[in-house]
Amino acid sequence: MTKRFLTAEDVRRLGGPEILLEEGTVVTPQAAEAAATAGVRLIGPAGAYAPPLPDRGPDAARAKATLPHLPEPSTTDGIGLVVTVVGRNRPGVLAEITAALASHECDVADISQRNVGGYFHTVFTCAVPPGRDFGSIKDSLQCLGGEGDYVVRVMHESVFRFMHRV
Amino acid sequence: MPFTDHEILETVRMFELETFDIRTTTLGINLLDCADPDLESSCEKVYAKIVHHGRNLVETAGSIESDLGIPIINKRVATTPIALVAAASGSKDLVPFARAMDAAAEEIGIDYIGGYTAYVHKGYSNADHALMESIPEALASTSRVCSSVSLATTKAGINMDAVSHFSKVVLDTARLTASEGGLGCAKLVCFSNPVEDNPFIAGAHIGIGEPETVLNVGVSGPGVVRSALERLGPEADLLAVAETIKRTAFKITRMGELVGREAARRLGTVFGIVDVSLAPTPAVGDSVADILELIGVERTGAPGTTAALALLTDAVKKGGAMASSSVGGLSGAFIPVSEDAGMIQAVADGALSLAKLEAMTTVCSVGLDMIAVPGDTSQATLAGIIADEMAIGMVNQKTTAVRAIPVPGKAPGETHDWGGLLGTAIVQDPGRFGSDVFHARGGRIPAPLQSYRN
Repeated sequence: MTKRFLTAEDVRRLGGPEILLEEGTVVTPQAAEAAATAGVRLIGPAGAYAPPLPDRGPDAARAKATLPHLPEPSTTDGIGLVVTVVGRNRPGVLAEITAALASHECDVADISQRNVGGYFHTVFTCAVPPGRDFGSIKDSLQCLGGEGDYVVRVMHESVFRFMHRV
Repeated sequence: MPFTDHEILETVRMFELETFDIRTTTLGINLLDCADPDLESSCEKVYAKIVHHGRNLVETAGSIESDLGIPIINKRVATTPIALVAAASGSKDLVPFARAMDAAAEEIGIDYIGGYTAYVHKGYSNADHALMESIPEALASTSRVCSSVSLATTKAGINMDAVSHFSKVVLDTARLTASEGGLGCAKLVCFSNPVEDNPFIAGAHIGIGEPETVLNVGVSGPGVVRSALERLGPEADLLAVAETIKRTAFKITRMGELVGREAARRLGTVFGIVDVSLAPTPAVGDSVADILELIGVERTGAPGTTAALALLTDAVKKGGAMASSSVGGLSGAFIPVSEDAGMIQAVADGALSLAKLEAMTTVCSVGLDMIAVPGDTSQATLAGIIADEMAIGMVNQKTTAVRAIPVPGKAPGETHDWGGLLGTAIVQDPGRFGSDVFHARGGRIPAPLQSYRN
């Protein structure tokens, strides 16, 4: 039947051993329950009913085509992430960070470091190999250091590109 | 290096020290196709459609947070005004719609959903009336649903009958939620010239000109503006202040643009707008009042406050408009009294009165937001406060709103703490003179002349 939704009332009204649903029909939880109770099978275009992908509407298709073409700030070739580390200086800090970066095959493009008193801050810009999951790199880096030692923050380069470049 | 150290540290400082965040990603969902002559079926559809479209919202926002490394605080849903959806059912009791929205919001893991809304600025449909009548129970019996009502527009004037009705709705809601200090009223707002793409609760809903689904973003950053002004110092002239705020607003809005594009892409929907409002929280430093005091008024509410707020709001809009082609929503500076630690301090110090707040709303983006009034405020007095605010919006062709909370059992000067983001309120004194005859007249204030603007 042609409907955007199948409700419990529809199930009661239509009855029968099965109800054929058009593609994109959303079955409400109450309808699914009513059908299960009454022993009515819900049949979608490809066999038993499965919830369809959300139909986001006519504008969504156009957005999908145009969104990637919106002008973006100038690219920063090869730079995938920016790592900032702030904390108390001690031997081995750089080694720990760069070892973690190396374990994810991140290539350090640039490092800048300042020391003030017993403290330091370091900024790394790194290239990330294609296909690498940013989230897991971030998690493993942010596990390093700790309270009273140093703190790592990892952000995607696009944050800086959008904020500081036009 | 593609970025200088200064640029990188400036950005990191915003997020780490200046409480900058993406305040909300709000998915707008059109519910018009959920209309049904059968009330139960219509509510089923409302639930199913919100869950169907909103299921990935929290997860998607989380993945963006993780991938970009920037915090996204709230994930919310805004719907078509429910009065439009409910009309076909002909039901007099629309609370089931609120329950369906509440259940759907719970299912998809969000804290608030907006859209229990009616547009009555010129008159009521039967469904509008039924919705207004059902608001107190809807807000008392759900925890996530937010309600808004349009009472006035520049083109239609002010529907004073609806203003009176709305005042009764507010008082009834306060009574029904008396055990929580009238908390239901924090989820209830009325508008003059409502915007149809507002991503911020409690007024979030999507109008009939909006797409099937749309992703709107609200950014915030009073702390960032505050720090920039602190660095600028008290010697700089006002042009430098405006320029500093504008540049800061640009940077803040760029983050909204980035997140909006990314969220829309991942959800497969349309990127609607970035709302560039400065939205304070009770957190220390995340205050619009602090900004006004840095611009140079001793306490918010002192002479000069309205002018300083005008400068702030305008500079935010200008910076935002340069940063995104999709600026929308309310976009300005919010002054929700209970939610802003600096505002509360100003009220406590006797610097900020209801009258001054009203003056401030002529130049900022919202209106009388999160103000506590005595629990025994009369319907006529509350209607008068609301009508004044609606008139400001109507004549100035701007959006104004009232979110007033009559705190049961509290008198002027007393304090009530709602906790969390809603913060602490000091009950404001509406004065001892009434406007009963004005209120009793009823009817409509006609639309204003748009020429001869003096």
